[in-house]
Amino acid sequence: MNENEPHQGEFRITSENDIVMARKVVRDAATTLGFGLTDVTRIVTAASELTRNIYHYAKSGVMHWRVLNSGTENGLELTFEDQGPGIPDIEKAMEPGFSTGKGLGMGLPGSKRLMDELTIESTVGKGTTVVVRKWMRK
Amino acid sequence: MASESISVIKLRDLLLVTVPPDPDDETVSALQEQVLRAMAQHEAKGLVLDISTVQTLDSFFARTVAETVQMVGLMGGRTVLAGMRASVAVTSTQLGLTVGNSLTALNVDRALDLLNAAPSGSRRV
Repeated sequence: MNENEPHQGEFRITSENDIVMARKVVRDAATTLGFGLTDVTRIVTAASELTRNIYHYAKSGVMHWRVLNSGTENGLELTFEDQGPGIPDIEKAMEPGFSTGKGLGMGLPGSKRLMDELTIESTVGKGTTVVVRKWMRK
Repeated sequence: MASESISVIKLRDLLLVTVPPDPDDETVSALQEQVLRAMAQHEAKGLVLDISTVQTLDSFFARTVAETVQMVGLMGGRTVLAGMRASVAVTSTQLGLTVGNSLTALNVDRALDLLNAAPSGSRRV
């Protein structure tokens, strides 16, 4: 895949209000890129879940966004990075309804359904990085 | 400050609550408290939650709505969720969300018809 990065940005998550701000950042990026309303809503909703995960489990973190270009498709990639407690069992965390917090256990599996790709890297005691992508035919 | 953006209007024996387009968690929680207080204060028999401007319904918001429906039900009231956008309906279904035992309507007009036509009184929640 021949990816270049014409547009990108980052947003720091440190408070509950940043969940709303992250939604706005992602909504603007996805809309500018040309995603339709339903896809914009899918992407923003996934961003809301993943930002809230950072706020609740790690207290703070960073969201990076960048535009992808595969030749035939444009895409939006969002990376959620924290230095929080990490996820001991990623397979378990991807099961709908499983939560170690007070959530519904919908965030990770739901975000995977809303996006085209979702990958998680996590080390207990070090932190977690979640990358999601959504593609759009040019 | 957060709760200022929520309006709770009494319409005869019903409450009409307009949810702001992109509420933060604090506003969503404040909404629940305000609704329950208003239910008791006005002896309302039903609640219409107008979500027609809501752009993003994520799991926290959905859980709070489902809880509110349950709580209003325990207080003898019925809730109608009115005006969910198509994009929000698609997204929340794919995310796997449910909003409890809420009745739903395409818009506020139909929600009011629904509550006025339905017999008042208790309902399983």
